[in-house]
Amino acid sequence: MSEGDQELRDLMIRYQGGSLEAFQEIYAQLSPGIRRYLSHLAGDSEIADDLLQETFLQMHRSRAAFNPAYAVRPWVFGLARNVFLMNRRAARQWAKVHESREELPEFPVLPEADRLGSRDEIRRGIAHLSPDQAEALLLHHEWGFSFEEIAGMLGISAAAARARASRGMADLRVALNSFQRARA
Amino acid sequence: MMERSPKPPEALMRAIVQDLRPVRPSPQPLRLALRMVPLALLVSSVILLAIGPRHDLSVLGPLLAWGASAAQFVLAIALVWIAARESTPAGRLPREIVYLAAVTASLVVVFVTLLTFSTSPTSEPLLRVPPLVNEKLRDSPWIMGFGCGMGSTLAGGILVLFFSRVFRNSLAIRPTVAGALYGAGAGLAINAGWRIACPVSTLWHALGAHGAAIIATVILGALIGRYLGKRRLRIGARPS
Repeated sequence: MSEGDQELRDLMIRYQGGSLEAFQEIYAQLSPGIRRYLSHLAGDSEIADDLLQETFLQMHRSRAAFNPAYAVRPWVFGLARNVFLMNRRAARQWAKVHESREELPEFPVLPEADRLGSRDEIRRGIAHLSPDQAEALLLHHEWGFSFEEIAGMLGISAAAARARASRGMADLRVALNSFQRARA
Repeated sequence: MMERSPKPPEALMRAIVQDLRPVRPSPQPLRLALRMVPLALLVSSVILLAIGPRHDLSVLGPLLAWGASAAQFVLAIALVWIAARESTPAGRLPREIVYLAAVTASLVVVFVTLLTFSTSPTSEPLLRVPPLVNEKLRDSPWIMGFGCGMGSTLAGGILVLFFSRVFRNSLAIRPTVAGALYGAGAGLAINAGWRIACPVSTLWHALGAHGAAIIATVILGALIGRYLGKRRLRIGARPS
């Protein structure tokens, strides 16, 4: 377990014991990443802000459900995903959100893809991926989750998580190459 | 748009400050499932003691009588464990495993029923009751079916209610599925005891009455899970 993970776990234990400072520290450490993740899921920054607030409210109400044996980040990211999906009332809406969004969401720029294109091209490239691929790709490359952790969050096998991220990266490369050719 | 500062917004802070009482962390999924064992065993044992063991236990042999029930019981606890995993945000099992477990549980019940019937095809309702009652039951087999169906549904319902209390903080993204899983676990655990007590092994009775009771507990669990999921969505509404 990394030092950061252990620190978050200790904070979570203090938070379960009633420490407000621990909650604020958890929020400070996790909220930027979760907001970007929700922004990716919802495709809208304002909705992401609302969902972020709701995620932490849910975390507070369900703080007893956290067991110190769990890693905190995947647990809270998983909770954020649940909040997003439950707010859409059904997982099938997940696809519709991606189909219906008109503006490009605030995708983070993947370190691996940074050399392959501009920030805007990468955002466009990720927007071209299937929602499943984009999610696995970002969870692994942007937020650094292991494939086992992604599997637990998405309810798939670790091999499937790896395959989604890998296909996503391959498709992203193809998209970025085509953007570059078009530019040339 | 909200300020992108890592400081919690005021409305959220107000909600947090209102309730900061210390809480006890939930057990891990396996421990949570194992916690169900004593109660499930108790309810199954009460059924067995109340009705008494079936008269053809010697024909069935220990493996088909007790072994098959033990297998069903273990499967029931496995289903509750899967439901507990399903209720943990970062602990979900692959969907295929969840469905495979549900299918396996159904097949085990059908297989054990067929095996029991082929080994000892009893249709005589020889219960520890006055002979007149047994005669009446023999003449109207649907009464026996109704009694078994209702009895095991009620016993399973008690377990489902207990399980749903344990799962009230569930964070399942598919609360209906999680509820159906622990409902199936409850139904299977009860059936494990009930089948050793019920003296009738005809297929229509075992699958119709006992099977229907398992389905009823699955539906009850799914409905409770769905309700709890909706309730969580309501209480999780953003603070104003």
